Amino acid sequence: MKSLVRYIVAALVLSGVAFVLGSYQTDVYRKLLLWITLALSYNFLFGICGQVAFSHFAFYGIGAYSVVIFITQLALPLPLAVLATVALCVALALVVAIPATRLAGFYLALATLAFAQLFIVVLNEGGTVTGGTGGLTNYRLPDIFGVAVTGPWYTVAIVLLLLGTFAMLWRLERSWFGRACRAVRDNPDAAVAMGVDARLTKVLAYTITSALAGLAGMVYAFVDNTVNPAIFSQESVFQLLFMVIVGGAGRPAGAIIGATVLYLLPLVLSPIIGHHHALVFGLFMVLVVIFQPRGLIGLWDRFISGRQHRQAQVQLRKAHP
Amino acid sequence: MTAHNPLLTVRGLGRRFGGLHAVTDLDLDVHAGEILGVIGPNGAGKSTTFSMIAGALAPTSGEIVFDGQPMAGVPSHGFAPRGIVRTFQHNKPFESMSVRENVMVGMHSRMPSSLWQILAGTGSSARAEREAAAKADSLVDFVGLSEFRDADVATLSFGQGRLLEIARALAAEPRLMLFDEPAAGLTASECHRLEQIVLSIAKRGIAVLLIEHDMRFLMSLADRVAVLNFGRKIADDTAAKVQQHPEVVEAYLGNLKDLQNA
Repeated sequence: MKSLVRYIVAALVLSGVAFVLGSYQTDVYRKLLLWITLALSYNFLFGICGQVAFSHFAFYGIGAYSVVIFITQLALPLPLAVLATVALCVALALVVAIPATRLAGFYLALATLAFAQLFIVVLNEGGTVTGGTGGLTNYRLPDIFGVAVTGPWYTVAIVLLLLGTFAMLWRLERSWFGRACRAVRDNPDAAVAMGVDARLTKVLAYTITSALAGLAGMVYAFVDNTVNPAIFSQESVFQLLFMVIVGGAGRPAGAIIGATVLYLLPLVLSPIIGHHHALVFGLFMVLVVIFQPRGLIGLWDRFISGRQHRQAQVQLRKAHP
Repeated sequence: MTAHNPLLTVRGLGRRFGGLHAVTDLDLDVHAGEILGVIGPNGAGKSTTFSMIAGALAPTSGEIVFDGQPMAGVPSHGFAPRGIVRTFQHNKPFESMSVRENVMVGMHSRMPSSLWQILAGTGSSARAEREAAAKADSLVDFVGLSEFRDADVATLSFGQGRLLEIARALAAEPRLMLFDEPAAGLTASECHRLEQIVLSIAKRGIAVLLIEHDMRFLMSLADRVAVLNFGRKIADDTAAKVQQHPEVVEAYLGNLKDLQNA
């Protein structure tokens, strides 16, 4: 009950912002919300399950392209197109996960990176279906119950996507499934001895998070009403990884902070120092990895535990003057 | 106790590694509520036997029957749900979790809610979580780690880590519990505490199979002791009688003092 109230308050606040922003700010705000959504699900896969997979952004692209193709070329009604896209993401995730989760660490990274590359190749060579290098344009979101969801109301849809993703992952993490995911990462032998099916757990985690990425991609497709291969390039794949690492892998709050900082950093810096912002970005990454491997959320943890420590000392001094 | 059928029946069990016969033609029975100790000099095949019964290693011959069901073909993760749960000699905690969460992993196959219920956030899945946490707390209390419930497992001492292993295994509601050298690395007082815990586990009707190096610990605790040497069982009797067994004495010649002290 208490958590429901919290979600409603968060939805109202985040949606309320959408109604006061100008058009440029709206664009930034929407993309920030989408980055956070993606970082949350990637945090589960990379930070909690420990799967170094580089296919997450590709599933974002698959979601975006599929929903557009289903609507414009197969003329599916929106609800069917959404269902078909989710089904496609789940099916593709299984195709990747069943062989790839046999691999660990470096090899899983390579296999999923290859998949992400293949996706870009398919986009470029897809002819009229994917629109080649130019991608797909000139489409719009079909009316929902006769209403065109545009402007701030579409931002509200993105807010709901973010909160829905957050709620699902939050529940998963605090369930037997989340514990099994961490158990398999921490100590596979012990996890198996406790009855955890390690492979099934990995495949499910990969599939669920990839489907969530696809879902976010679908929503993204109608933000700019254009999808093209450049959007889903390798640069974004690593951007996502950096967001989770900078924020603090394994922590939802870390994913939110990481996505916010890394998405906004170039926007703030480029008017001041132009393209040199990439240099600042690189330096920032190196500093975080060396001095704060637990990410920015780790700084916050230290602040909190330091304050508790000081409070305890003050009380101790009061008790024994 | 022996009037009933044994809970665990091992017949003709063998494991070959290439040309090496680590375990040959081994027969073992364990009854509910019984404590069976397995001892043997280094290289006797204790660990191989343990791994096979725990499901971590497939036998190359013979069979393991648990509660009338042959375990051949059951995957490693299928042993805990069927009631066979182990502890590890070198503690294997889940480092990213609290003590309570570690124990909750033990309940993995006993959790009633489905993934769909969790994703939908149903009341029943939230209730199942609360019940699991409460049950984990009571197991943490049982092994005497109450003050560490919320602690990081990294803060536990080696002995406390061993107790956590036991609480986690008990969370799986085993009917046969396997201990891999549980006394190894423990202080005398920790050993005593462990003894009390093992006895009360057996008193609950859980069958216990202990593999041990520490003779003294085993002799006072086990209802029956099986002795392995060079992959074969050379004796299987009460602790007192096993110590008189000529083959056992011979196998343990180097450790004769250990046996007599027991």
